[in-house]
Amino acid sequence: MGSREEILGNIRKNTLFSFEKPSYEIDSIKYEDKLQAFCDMLKVAGGQPVFMSPDDDLDKLISRLYPDAKRIASNLPDVKCAVYNPDEIENSRELKNTDLSVVSGAFGVAENGAVWIPLNVKYKALYFISESLVILLDKREIVHTMHEAYKRISGERYGYGLFMSGPSKTADIEQALVFGAHGPMSVSVVLY
Amino acid sequence: MSTRHSTAAARFLKDREQEKWHDETLWLVRAKRDKMSRSLPEWETLRNLAASIKLYSNSHLADLLEQFEKNAAGNGAIVHWAKDAEEYNRIVYDLLKERNIKRLAKSKSMLAEECGMNSYLMERGIDVVETDLGERILQLMHLKPSHIVLPAIHIKRQQVGEMMEREMGTEKGNFDPTYLTHAARKNLREIFLNSDAAMTGVNFAVASTGEIVVCTNEGNADMGTSFPKLHIAAFGLEKIVPDLEALGVFTRLLARSGTGQPITSYTSHYRSPQNGGEFHIIIVDNGRSEILKNREHIRILNCIRCGECMNTCPVYRRSGGYSYTYFIPGPIGINLSMLKNPKLYSDNLSACSLCLSCSNVCPVKVDLGEQIYRWRQQLDGLGQANPVKKQISMGLKYLMDRPKVFNTALKFAPLANQMPRFVLYNKLNAWGKGRELPHFAKKSFNELWKNNQVK
Repeated sequence: MGSREEILGNIRKNTLFSFEKPSYEIDSIKYEDKLQAFCDMLKVAGGQPVFMSPDDDLDKLISRLYPDAKRIASNLPDVKCAVYNPDEIENSRELKNTDLSVVSGAFGVAENGAVWIPLNVKYKALYFISESLVILLDKREIVHTMHEAYKRISGERYGYGLFMSGPSKTADIEQALVFGAHGPMSVSVVLY
Repeated sequence: MSTRHSTAAARFLKDREQEKWHDETLWLVRAKRDKMSRSLPEWETLRNLAASIKLYSNSHLADLLEQFEKNAAGNGAIVHWAKDAEEYNRIVYDLLKERNIKRLAKSKSMLAEECGMNSYLMERGIDVVETDLGERILQLMHLKPSHIVLPAIHIKRQQVGEMMEREMGTEKGNFDPTYLTHAARKNLREIFLNSDAAMTGVNFAVASTGEIVVCTNEGNADMGTSFPKLHIAAFGLEKIVPDLEALGVFTRLLARSGTGQPITSYTSHYRSPQNGGEFHIIIVDNGRSEILKNREHIRILNCIRCGECMNTCPVYRRSGGYSYTYFIPGPIGINLSMLKNPKLYSDNLSACSLCLSCSNVCPVKVDLGEQIYRWRQQLDGLGQANPVKKQISMGLKYLMDRPKVFNTALKFAPLANQMPRFVLYNKLNAWGKGRELPHFAKKSFNELWKNNQVK
């Protein structure tokens, strides 16, 4: 514990000023149509918003979106086209070579097209390892900004969670945008 | 006498085409940032709020770090403290050695760069694999990052392609970024699946919950931590924020400022170790607590490493990251290097035109340009002032203090118009290097005024 005491002591000794904690209240942007803004921003991030009406069949919708996907993983009972339940495997490495994963998101953020996903599968690897990802999201669950988003998850208990905005991307080679750096090449958010 | 920055910049400028591309590409990123900032009416209020939160947290660091430690431990993480680079490197190495780990999948961390962690571990037999694409390209080319967010911005696609032909067996002559990126994806996937430990940097550490937040576009941090049992995360102690609501402010600013995106693809919150795994968090000081007592430079601790000050800086854009003598270039690098070792790094101070564009765009309102100005006032005290420029300044002061001598000198100034160039442009005239002297008027303003010739 030597360094801990030394560092904390040094900080206390060297702190010359004390600034007050500011109020977080801020008059932030409110979209006329939150859902529309969410869809627009998701597209900017390279994701695909897809609307599902109550009569639509989820499996048909998925196969229309990803006709070539064969190894489909999901722990959601409604996803009948899933060929395996990722929560039943022993080791996250077995998720390799998954074509498509179908997961659910908690809410979306209008200002940036991100979806909050608190870990709701056994291995978080599932969100990243498959070639494509479908996120199911209740279209009434959209907040305007990250301020609202964090207010909403404050007090929630999660071991891991993430805001995901579109597919994995990089521009590290001459600033040319490429989807699918390490995670999914394609992300669709199915709004029901 | 040129600084090491200006000498290196002259080398960068020799490749005009590359210089133009570098300049214009980074300016495009800056323009994307402007578009983002204008899409939010509250942008300036957000910047002010972010700066205030940082000033609050940096003046309550000890309390917040203790709070973080307590909450992280409650989540099942193990917290370590490192007072310097050596201790940080040793903690990482010991964690790996005790578990007989041979390969570490590493995502981006400027702290690891600062502490020379990669070479420390590799000398001791650990295979450290960079997993951010830009960092991986540089690692395989045995090069260092030239930008903190766009590390390989100075590398051309042909160079990447040629390196990947050798290292990953890609098609000869195929320099297509999509092809190369996907080849690297395949190659790194095996690394992710077969590493025994993962290391991530930290964008934000949240005191009230004990969690760390990592922002990436590639998803490499998340892929890296998805398979091995051990996750090591390390952060410089100024990365602490009080609570989740503060994150609402910073996550709105970070990517918009840095890359002109509304948010990064992944903003990942790590609280607990994964099932059956271990989660170690290292809090690193390495000189940061000393910055606290430096009144004029305390705001440097506000920095969230978005990289925007590099994109906007006219000197950085036209001289490249390698022209600086510190591992972090650009306006923030100049300042960090001066706080690290002013004698060693004062060359970087010349890499600034005092246009203050950096200060004007910084999302957390670090007064970058103003601080560079203040450092320059101390150059003489550090024994680093340019002797020729110092002579010129002293000469000018002599003239300015003596109006009679000044007016006489002015009378004879037009003579300079006829002087041969070698008399005027030589090593005694540092100002004339790269600049043309003005054409002196026949009569001074003073003379014209006295003769009623001013209209």
